[in-house]
Amino acid sequence: MSQEPEERQTGFRRHGDNAFVADFLAAESEVLVNLVEQIIELLGERKDHHSTDPLAAMVGITSHDSPPEDEVLLRLLPNAYADQVDASEFRRYTEATLRAKKTAHAMSMRIDLKSSPDGSVEVDHEGANAWLGAINDIRLALGVRLRVEEKSHEELEILAPDDPLRGVYAVYSWLGWLQESLILALMDQAL
Amino acid sequence: MVKLDDKIDEAIQEIFRSDRPWITIVWDDPVNLMSYVTYVLMELFGFTKEKAHELMMKVHTEGKAVVSSGSREEMEHDVARLHEYGLWATLQREDQNI
Repeated sequence: MSQEPEERQTGFRRHGDNAFVADFLAAESEVLVNLVEQIIELLGERKDHHSTDPLAAMVGITSHDSPPEDEVLLRLLPNAYADQVDASEFRRYTEATLRAKKTAHAMSMRIDLKSSPDGSVEVDHEGANAWLGAINDIRLALGVRLRVEEKSHEELEILAPDDPLRGVYAVYSWLGWLQESLILALMDQAL
Repeated sequence: MVKLDDKIDEAIQEIFRSDRPWITIVWDDPVNLMSYVTYVLMELFGFTKEKAHELMMKVHTEGKAVVSSGSREEMEHDVARLHEYGLWATLQREDQNI
């Protein structure tokens, strides 16, 4: 099946009362499935299980160069209290649920992509929220690797062509654009 | 009995309410899109677009904003839901220094 680039609909758009559709190229679907599966794997890891960080592996960062794998997990599963004792207590009781909820968002996005071989995805409001949460988790994870916290937008824009983070930044930016398109479609409905 | 103005009545009730000394704070994050933060606040708290936008701008410009207050249990619930959607949130006592 071929697709003319000029006919391509990009990003999410609203379709009727409770449907949001997007048409992804095969390569785009592949990237999204890959990323969402990394998140599922990351969230499924046990803290005491010291395997290679799949996100670091994906972006080509060797383990001894990369920050501890917990840095990404800490952003996805942050402390609820500034006080460490309260934070630990809260985490003990809620982290598994938080992991499960985030995993459910990612699984929902994965299934939507996997069940649309032609790249045409349609979600309802609930499905859209799962996509937003999952895309956001991917962006948070990539953001930690890109050091978005310390680097300016301009610094990231001028990464060298051979810098592996250049491609990561392109994906990160594209995900932001995709997320924005879905938010705009949802807000349009909410009004 | 003296008929109190509704506003004063509300304020007095607030003073005697022992179950509302906790607050939920959303912190600024360089990754989360402004539109996303606004949308999540609308979805989770039922804020109008204007109210959610105002709180988001407060987070963006001041680094943080209080988005809800109530019992500790309620605030833990709010923080858990904000974490589910990737917003950086914490809870604390209302009178505690932020």
